[in-house]
Amino acid sequence: MATTESRMAGGSDHHPEIDWQAAERSPEFRELIKRKRAFVVPATIFFLAWYFGFIILAGYAPDFMGREFITDGMTVGYALALTQFLMVWGLGWWYLRKADRVFDPLAERAAEVALAAGTPGRARDDRFKRGAAEAPATTDEEAPR
Amino acid sequence: MTYFAADVNELALGIFAIVVAITLSVTYWASKRVSTATDFWAAGRGLTGVQNGFAIAGDYMSAASFLGIAGLIFLFGFDGFLYSVGFLVAFLTVLFLLGERMRNSGKYTIADVLSFRMKQRPARAAAALGTLAVAGFYLIAQMVGAGVLINALVGIGFELAVIITGAFMIIYIVLGGMLATSWVQIIKAILLMSATIVLTLFVLGEVGWNPIDLFTQARAESPEGDAYLKPGLFLASPIDTVSLGIALVLGTAGLPHILMRFFTVPDAKAARSSVMWAVALIGAFYVMTTALGFGARAVLGESATEAVGTGGNLAAPLLAEEVGGGAGTFGGDLFLAIIAAVAFATILAVVAGLVISASGAVAHDVWSNIVRHGRDSEKEEVWVAKIAAFAIGAIAIGIAVIGGEGLNVSFMVGLAFAVAASAIFPALLLALTWRRFNTSGAVTGVLVGTFTSIALVIISPTVWPGPDAEGGLFSWYDLANPGIVSVPLGFIGCWLGTVLVREELAERNFDELYVRAETGLGAETGTGLTLTGRRDAPRTAATAASTTIPHP
Repeated sequence: MATTESRMAGGSDHHPEIDWQAAERSPEFRELIKRKRAFVVPATIFFLAWYFGFIILAGYAPDFMGREFITDGMTVGYALALTQFLMVWGLGWWYLRKADRVFDPLAERAAEVALAAGTPGRARDDRFKRGAAEAPATTDEEAPR
Repeated sequence: MTYFAADVNELALGIFAIVVAITLSVTYWASKRVSTATDFWAAGRGLTGVQNGFAIAGDYMSAASFLGIAGLIFLFGFDGFLYSVGFLVAFLTVLFLLGERMRNSGKYTIADVLSFRMKQRPARAAAALGTLAVAGFYLIAQMVGAGVLINALVGIGFELAVIITGAFMIIYIVLGGMLATSWVQIIKAILLMSATIVLTLFVLGEVGWNPIDLFTQARAESPEGDAYLKPGLFLASPIDTVSLGIALVLGTAGLPHILMRFFTVPDAKAARSSVMWAVALIGAFYVMTTALGFGARAVLGESATEAVGTGGNLAAPLLAEEVGGGAGTFGGDLFLAIIAAVAFATILAVVAGLVISASGAVAHDVWSNIVRHGRDSEKEEVWVAKIAAFAIGAIAIGIAVIGGEGLNVSFMVGLAFAVAASAIFPALLLALTWRRFNTSGAVTGVLVGTFTSIALVIISPTVWPGPDAEGGLFSWYDLANPGIVSVPLGFIGCWLGTVLVREELAERNFDELYVRAETGLGAETGTGLTLTGRRDAPRTAATAASTTIPHP
């Protein structure tokens, strides 16, 4: 274990003083992951499907993509390409809004809980003492910037 | 290619000189402020979301985007625009899957994130290999492209053009580190966007302010007729088109010089907003490639096909010359000179970003962590980084000069994206999301992804023309883009390497990486560095306090 620790010196430092396993299992962190997944997984599937749908049409249905509609010169392919741009801006903006309003406050809560929970393996009441002494201060400092 | 090489274009040289003078003064400013490793590789983590958004745009949009896509659309119509779409959509992968997590859990290089919960030396070596492969292929392609373009646009010789480009790139990085590189990229993004907007307006004016007329007039000027507005002229094989799409959309999320940019902002929120700024800029730019490409066809017509060169790279400069008033007029010369200078700035910003990411792999990953076991001083690390940047720059100049104009670089950018998508992206994503993933999986995945990409490109028709020449050995394989094969193989490599070995430490430390990546707890803090000086201590201290774990 000691050798492992010294080998890790050059990257981001590890923080064994935090009980990461408890933090990962905390209801606050689970809630963050649940809410984030509920957005990111469907959004990723949607944009990949929309994009590869477009690419597959471009590859396998050139005549359909070359069909003109609305007006002379405007092809289905170019219109679908424009929807890709709109999708990127729209989904990106939506994610930003979600992250600011939902994910960030949840992440902050999860981080506070992790800090307050303290060191792994310490006696339970010791942990409560630590939490009582440090939690208020950390809460203030955890304010988003 | 030698269209403008008859004599040196003094006007273009003059505008070059202005651009270079601005970037060099920024570098001079930066050089007096950059001291720590965090300053050198991460610009002190002091950039705002907007600044980093511009810098990402400047880092990402290469001359291949600006001149190459315009040229492809000019020559092949709709297929060229497929690149524009892919290059942009890729940023959703970055935004959703990697950007913020990189910022929260990394320090200077992607290896920091990959190796966080793994055996340091093998994991770092694998990440460094991937980084150097991507940066190396991309860099050589850019350097050769730079020589050819500057030669064509300004009339100075190929070798001299390569050496000048390389020399400025080295100066920016060795003196000003990431701070200077970031500002060169920001300046380039502003120049590129402004020039493209002006050019787009002139082109629209030329076709009567109706964007639809771009298509009808371009079609009228193309011997291909209706086919010009359809897919299939350039990307004839459907499966190859899909394969290209995979490499573009996943490869961007594995480009080390783009991912490295997320270490330059103070927190995940700034990382996220920088992606959105980049997406706004890059999206607007790629929409305007419609006007550059189809516009070049509509305005210049079929007669320019020879003048734009083999890859069509001179379509945009010729278009600028034409809408400025035509060859020989002052307006035409001025527009051409401006586009030439913008192309030069574009190349400089991209190569600088590539070299600084490669210097991180050599100095931070290989030297500090693998050779010196993380026990060297920060001063030594920065010194080695500067030496590495100088050496990498010199090697790139050497290869470009020796290879010469004839060096086939057409496959190299594609190869860089393929390695990024097949080696770096799977390993990073799994390191951040899959508990069971371990050192053996990361190393296997990166090796399989890198070498299958390279091998498949070597046997592809781009490099090995005529598979029949090899006795039909490769007749079953004719993809120019390896993504559809190499990306799944990269993931399979990651999975296979993982399940064969049980690594308790990697699984145990997953909790720490996971919580930190998602919440920003314990994220690396900045040094308060800005271009105009260091921020006052209170603000830095407050920022640090919000994310730092107090040491016991």
